[in-house]
Amino acid sequence: MFTKPIHIKLFFLAVLIAALLLPLFISDAYMFQVVIMSILFAIATCAMNLIIGFTGQASLAHGAFFGIGAYGVAILTKAGVSFWLALPAAAVMAVLIGLPVGLISLRTRGHYFAIVTLCFGVIMWIVAGNWIELTGGENGIFGIAPPGDILVPLIGRIDFSSQAAQYYLALAFLLLTLWALYRIVYSVFGLTFMAVRNNEALADAVGINTFTTKLISFEAANFIAALAGGLYAIVIGAVSPSAAGYGLTFNFLIYLILGGIATLSGSVIGAFAIPILMESLQFLQDYQLLIFGALLVVVIIYFPMGFVGGLRRLNQIIADRRRRKKSEAVHVSG
Amino acid sequence: MELFLQQVFNGIMFGSTYAIVALGLTLVMGILNIPNFAHGHLYMLGGYVTYFFFATLGLGFWLSLLASMIILGMVGVVMERVVFRPLTGQPPINDFIAAIGSLVFLEAFALAVWGPQGLRITNPYPETFQFLGITMTVQRVLVIVAAAALIVGLHFFMKKTVLGATIEAVAQNREGAMLTGINVNRVSAITFAISTATAALAASFLSPIFMLSPSMGAILGMKAFIIVILGGLGSIPGAILGGYILGLIEALGGGYVSAAYKNVFAFGALILILSIKPTGLFGKKEA
Amino acid sequence: MKHLILPMRMAVIGIFAWAALSTNALAKDVVIGFTGPLSGPGAGYGRDVLNGIKMAADDINKGGGITVKGKKYTVKVEGLDDRIDPTIAVNNARRLSSRSKARVIFNPVFNTIAPLMQINQQKTSQFLLMAYSSTPKIEQIPNDLTVSIPPPFTAYVNAFCDMAWKKGWRKGAMMVTLGAYGDEWREAFKHHWEEIGGEILADKPANYYTETDFSAQLSAVIATHPEFLLIGGPSEPTGLVIEQAHNLGFNGGFVLVDQAKMDYIADVVFKGDLSKMGNVIGVAPIVGLPSPVIPEWNKRYEKEYGVHDTFEALLNYSATMIVVHAMEKAGTIDNPQAIKAAFAKVLPQDPTKVPTPFIGTLGPKLLITTTAGEIIDGKYTKVNQYVWWTKDEAAYMELLKSIPASDNVVTSWLPLKGYLQ
Repeated sequence: MFTKPIHIKLFFLAVLIAALLLPLFISDAYMFQVVIMSILFAIATCAMNLIIGFTGQASLAHGAFFGIGAYGVAILTKAGVSFWLALPAAAVMAVLIGLPVGLISLRTRGHYFAIVTLCFGVIMWIVAGNWIELTGGENGIFGIAPPGDILVPLIGRIDFSSQAAQYYLALAFLLLTLWALYRIVYSVFGLTFMAVRNNEALADAVGINTFTTKLISFEAANFIAALAGGLYAIVIGAVSPSAAGYGLTFNFLIYLILGGIATLSGSVIGAFAIPILMESLQFLQDYQLLIFGALLVVVIIYFPMGFVGGLRRLNQIIADRRRRKKSEAVHVSG
Repeated sequence: MELFLQQVFNGIMFGSTYAIVALGLTLVMGILNIPNFAHGHLYMLGGYVTYFFFATLGLGFWLSLLASMIILGMVGVVMERVVFRPLTGQPPINDFIAAIGSLVFLEAFALAVWGPQGLRITNPYPETFQFLGITMTVQRVLVIVAAAALIVGLHFFMKKTVLGATIEAVAQNREGAMLTGINVNRVSAITFAISTATAALAASFLSPIFMLSPSMGAILGMKAFIIVILGGLGSIPGAILGGYILGLIEALGGGYVSAAYKNVFAFGALILILSIKPTGLFGKKEA
Repeated sequence: MKHLILPMRMAVIGIFAWAALSTNALAKDVVIGFTGPLSGPGAGYGRDVLNGIKMAADDINKGGGITVKGKKYTVKVEGLDDRIDPTIAVNNARRLSSRSKARVIFNPVFNTIAPLMQINQQKTSQFLLMAYSSTPKIEQIPNDLTVSIPPPFTAYVNAFCDMAWKKGWRKGAMMVTLGAYGDEWREAFKHHWEEIGGEILADKPANYYTETDFSAQLSAVIATHPEFLLIGGPSEPTGLVIEQAHNLGFNGGFVLVDQAKMDYIADVVFKGDLSKMGNVIGVAPIVGLPSPVIPEWNKRYEKEYGVHDTFEALLNYSATMIVVHAMEKAGTIDNPQAIKAAFAKVLPQDPTKVPTPFIGTLGPKLLITTTAGEIIDGKYTKVNQYVWWTKDEAAYMELLKSIPASDNVVTSWLPLKGYLQ
């Protein structure tokens, strides 16, 4: 489980190289935009996967923490702070705000936890729309400048108002997130997360401090969600309450579940596949959401474990059949 | 004082609707363990169906109300059968996603059929009168009375009829009920039908007072959820009390403190109560 | 971990298939883009705007299209739904500009206008942003490729205050919609009303988009015994507020913020019964506007789209006319700078051709008079028309020549700080 066979490693390397070279093949600003946004959403969905998929706590305040990151970067860069400082600062802010939220809401379980966090999410969304002095109210904060040009040896000057630079910036954070999650999930520490998810009482009995474990997972997810939000602020250039709304939470949840919960690749696939699907359903106009809603229900019924889960099952079935054939063959010859 | 009474009256009227809507949701959520996030959108659909019978076909108010309840009851049965029953045995989060899919569908459906403009039916009882110095309309009083009647009726149904007892039995112990020969699927369908029909009833009574719009169910659905959790999952008295509490908090908070933060009071109250009592007002010890 | 290969491969195939499918730019068409709310809250508003643009395109095409440098073009409108979500709005604009080659894109909500102003000047994908939002915030963002269509709402604030004051009203209370627009409106109204000597007794905003029962806030504001209420948001709920206020025993007057339209409320909410409205000041009813083409336009619009005519449709119709005529004058369909520069050559518009003629430009703003109307005792009165941008009486008198007039309209000069020229 901890080491992967060589051909899988080669495959990931190929995907990585393809991702790095992608800007050479995309000449279309529209496609580029969709890809960049998908990367940001993938980062946030990966973070959601940590708390929901691996730790089993359905936090529905995720969009709000994304929003704290977005507003944090917007407010700080408007005040003249460099983006490179503002981004981590905003993420730390999300962790600080997440602390009382976590301390209160993690006392509850199951549906109760989901609804309490949803309430926190809705409250933060309302505050974003009404605390005019800080957040600009419903108008939000606009005219957020991209990070200043930076000079990189060998590459030269990078201008972050270009889509290519934004793409690489987002991609770097996605890779960082995936790497961090990979390290967490496949560590002994990650196993405690899953122990809490699978059976909290048992985890408690074997000496795991379940409350602290849940809190750490919750806060790690908030931290990453805020990073994604901070990147959103400079890519879109304007932040309004919809960047902190529960609609975002639901979107992330859909990406997570349909992509494949509790798998690292599932979150990324979901965050790419669904927005692209939505974009390609645009031609349906008034019927776009009608079809999408129905599709969502059908997919969840027939692929309850999402895309990656479905493929795993398919693999399983094929492998079983092969094994059966093999054993039958053995029977015949024997 | 007048102002205070007026706000209390408004709060009770709001609370009545919340109570009915939450009642339907707590049946589905507590008994079938389905977090039906689309409940608010079924309420919305109920309003539009009433509009269809009343304004488009020209049926009277009470007939339209009845027709809307019947149709929404059927929608409930279909939804249970097509959307939620195939999901039995899967984690609740999948039900949640299916519910989101359903609500997206219902909203798009209403938009496609009735358009984005607000619609409403002419008020059948627009008369106003003064009571204790506050102004009321007959329709608003009717909402309060109807909610009370429905609550009493549902109570007798659950306690005095065989069907009601069966539903309670399933709620308490699904496997046990199955062993005694109860057709759990039939009970699920009936519970769903009751849930959606009560939502339609609430929407019918309110449609002369409020504008119908495809997105009107979103916030109400969320509030119903909050009430159900506030009262304790599956608890009928909890849902009723929670509904009235929320209505009053909103009316008083909105009237006296700040309308902008009106919903913050409601959502904040829930957080406060759950941080003291993590399973809600009437919740069982461990969910 | 073999199972990972397939999803990746399928995702790649999916992306390419999608890329191949969605390229569609036909020759001989000039595409005008629109992104705005077509579902969710604000959908009615977004559709009104889009209808106006479509109707202009239809009228142009019926007349044989446009001729740019000797070539004939048909005007094609492509409208996409963004549900006021900045991410979708930016995607839509990118799609319209890269795939459909739209060089002019309309958007009617500030929350999505602001992010679009971040991208419309990028060298690879420039487009002219036609912003339909009356907030002065647009003018705070430096942008050479943005045009703001409606008059600043502060012009209405001044006009309505002027009319209310002349009626003898002194004490008002406010219950305006929440949100950016409402916040700005009530702040500006309170400021101006108190400046001219009036009084605001209470201020209880309400959410006209998500809430439907306004009794809590209404009873609070009515309890202060105001002579009039400043109310408004989208038209339908505003009609509800009037009804609920009457039910709660209020018999003073109403001033409607410019988003709410009194004729729409009277026709749609009260089924044409003006007596149920009481005394109202607000944006002029469309039938009262001075242009002679209004009745015919009105009839055609309502027949074509099956909804009540609104100012949103009218102003965007006129603005679209400016855009396509400017393309002809500029001799280009794909240079947004040149198209914008040619605006001056097609203004003022002819009131016998377009129902709401624009008169000129001022920075990023298109100039049009603000028109305010009144309902007294169940009847519409004369319409007041205000010129708000001329710096002195002489310039105003000069301008009067190019402003549409009729017996039913009283024109006057009401200078608005910050916009005078």
